[in-house]
Amino acid sequence: MTESIYINHSKEVYDAIVIGSGISGGWAAKEFCERGYKTLMIERGKVVEHRKDYIGENKAPWQQKHRTKVDNLLIEQRYKIQQQCYAFNDATKHFFGNDRDLPYATKEGTNFSWIRANQLGGKSILWHRQSYRLGEFDFTANKLDGYGNDWPIRTKDIDSWYSHVEKHAGISGAKENLPNLPDSEFLPAFEMTSPEKHIQKKLAQAYPDRPMVMGRAAHLTEPSALHVSQGRVQCQARNECQAGCSFGAYFSTQSSTLPAAAATNNLHIAPNSVVHSLIYDEKTNRVKGVKVIDNDDLTEREYFANVVFVCASTIGSTQILMNTTSKKFPNGIGNSSGVLGHYLMDHNYNAGASGYVEGFEDEYYSGRRPTSPYIPNFYYKPDSKRKFLRGYALSGYIQRENWQSNYSQDGLGVDYKNKLRQAGKWKFGLGAQGEMLPRFENQMRLHPTLKDKWGIPQIEFDCRFSQNETDMMDDAAEQAELMLKAAGLTGINKYVTRGAPGLAIHELGTARMGRDPKTSFLNGFNQSHDIPNLFVTDGSSFCSSAVQNPSLTFMALTARAVDYCTNEMKAKRI
Amino acid sequence: MTIHSTPPEHESRRKFIKGLSIILGGTVASGLLTGNAYAVAMTYSPTQSHSTAGKIFTVEQLKLLEYVCAIVIPKTATLGAAEVDTHGFIDSQLYHCHSKQTQNKIMALLTDIDEMALSAHSAAFIKLSYDQQFSLLTKLDIGDKPFSQAQRTDFKSLKQLICFGYYTSEVGASQELRFDAIPGGFKGSIPYSKDQASWGSNALFY
Repeated sequence: MTESIYINHSKEVYDAIVIGSGISGGWAAKEFCERGYKTLMIERGKVVEHRKDYIGENKAPWQQKHRTKVDNLLIEQRYKIQQQCYAFNDATKHFFGNDRDLPYATKEGTNFSWIRANQLGGKSILWHRQSYRLGEFDFTANKLDGYGNDWPIRTKDIDSWYSHVEKHAGISGAKENLPNLPDSEFLPAFEMTSPEKHIQKKLAQAYPDRPMVMGRAAHLTEPSALHVSQGRVQCQARNECQAGCSFGAYFSTQSSTLPAAAATNNLHIAPNSVVHSLIYDEKTNRVKGVKVIDNDDLTEREYFANVVFVCASTIGSTQILMNTTSKKFPNGIGNSSGVLGHYLMDHNYNAGASGYVEGFEDEYYSGRRPTSPYIPNFYYKPDSKRKFLRGYALSGYIQRENWQSNYSQDGLGVDYKNKLRQAGKWKFGLGAQGEMLPRFENQMRLHPTLKDKWGIPQIEFDCRFSQNETDMMDDAAEQAELMLKAAGLTGINKYVTRGAPGLAIHELGTARMGRDPKTSFLNGFNQSHDIPNLFVTDGSSFCSSAVQNPSLTFMALTARAVDYCTNEMKAKRI
Repeated sequence: MTIHSTPPEHESRRKFIKGLSIILGGTVASGLLTGNAYAVAMTYSPTQSHSTAGKIFTVEQLKLLEYVCAIVIPKTATLGAAEVDTHGFIDSQLYHCHSKQTQNKIMALLTDIDEMALSAHSAAFIKLSYDQQFSLLTKLDIGDKPFSQAQRTDFKSLKQLICFGYYTSEVGASQELRFDAIPGGFKGSIPYSKDQASWGSNALFY
């Protein structure tokens, strides 16, 4: 990639503007560029060059001043909210937003943790890489129990697009033929440890309808010729992904979509460009471009294009849409339905259980597997006898304990040191990933008075888990405990917490798809019902959260939307 | 300040252990002796003392902490916590990454340790014999009289800091334990026996 792909001022009318450079934005840019369309990707943050800017990568703890921890003062000044993310540490902190510059409000009595990643690549650098398709039961869930609007698409509409993105991104996993979790185009799955295989077998006997599979993850376990041609190689099992990976072994914008887009010579990128609003022409009922504020010097500039793809993350995209007002759309562009900002969802990770696997003391693992076992949602069919709607997946983890868990044992000196030197007991746990219902009252809105330093109204969140989610977590802890018991684990501990939404970092909804323009913002192709050349393809388009990690669906929806959009452009309807 | 010097008989014993270690390997040699005998032979000789105050500790507190580190994780076939300046690290880490409350708790605990040494043996902790130091900290570690359960809990926090400092040091993570920066792939099952070290490489998650 050469410097010349970065622009600052431009009078050019591009074929397409893509706002955002994360998972969705990267895919939109790649798909437009590969179809021959001149594309401008707009990124609010700084450039992060693949390899060169992974400044925390492969540093041993003793090579870091605070041995992976972050200075209190820095946290206090910049990262009070961001530090809540499990992946926040000294090697990754520069990929998290600066809370001081990115204030937001929450309605009294509510809380929302908003994790930000405002740089080229966005959260594709920091994501957890778990990759699952949505299945027919997910797309029909709203319709079947009447909660939320019906997804305007089904698996037949999106499956070929899942295949398309999976082959390029590289998803490791095993074919399972499960009714509730469709298979992907897979690279080989990561191995299970012996205790995991043992648990898998025990669970298959006790709970045949709750199979445990290896977590499907966007890692190159066996790179294809295509991946190698992108400059990507096999995953080295470091599990330091969020620091950046010079092997390009996990999918990120930098490793995968950006090189493909740049190779076409159709891509330009405007970094440090905070999108303030869209430029809307009421006469033609088209968006013409975007108004941006310079991230650094706060000057204003505009970019123009024939179509605009908003891929700025769920909250980010909806903030831009809400901040684009006109006589025709006083409450946000394209918001004739009034649903913009509503039906905000996250996933609920507030329950689980863990215990010890006896035996297997003469076995260990080598390498740090960047994924873990996964038990797909087993409540995928509606059941009026259940106390709550929808369900949850269970995500596993395993390790042999070490000094981190055993430091508190009694003892000193040589004996203590020798004990801590050894690998400890096998510990296995299950954590719930619960579905959150789409509820009108869970919403984000523009704060009436508070603004950020770019003069953009701050977001105010009004979002909470309902009784349905709370009941579900109680059940998840109970079921996880029962399953661990059935698998023969000992010393089982279950937990239920009451954390607020946000920290699953799966913000979804707020500009939902639907068949009816009166009750949805987007149609089944992620196109605005109201404005033909406006598309929103990130998580804001979701009608329900399902339980699966959503990023793979962002990719597929985005690629599909670009295909549809370019066909419409060719047919002169856009 | 007086440095507790190692008596001559310990010197010779240390040479013996060293010789054994070379012939048999450190772990086997230490296994031939009781932990205590081995440890006596390895009575700590200060190598990482600070001549100026740290960010939160005085020179005296750093010295005391250095001796506590040496008792908790002593030198064996690999260097111990004191030799790799875990006390200096704890001073910095407490200041930069822990709460004022934790800082004060550790500070008070060090004072308690010294006061207990004075009342039991009429000498500062660092001037006690190895056995006296070991026995005093053992009482603290198990909450035996005269120490309270609260002091025991605080000592567990200090042990956590010592372990963190030691096992994230280059010696702790890569010599005492096994450090694999770039594993090259994941294997779900490899043979393991208790004389092998666990992984000291924990990616970003310490």
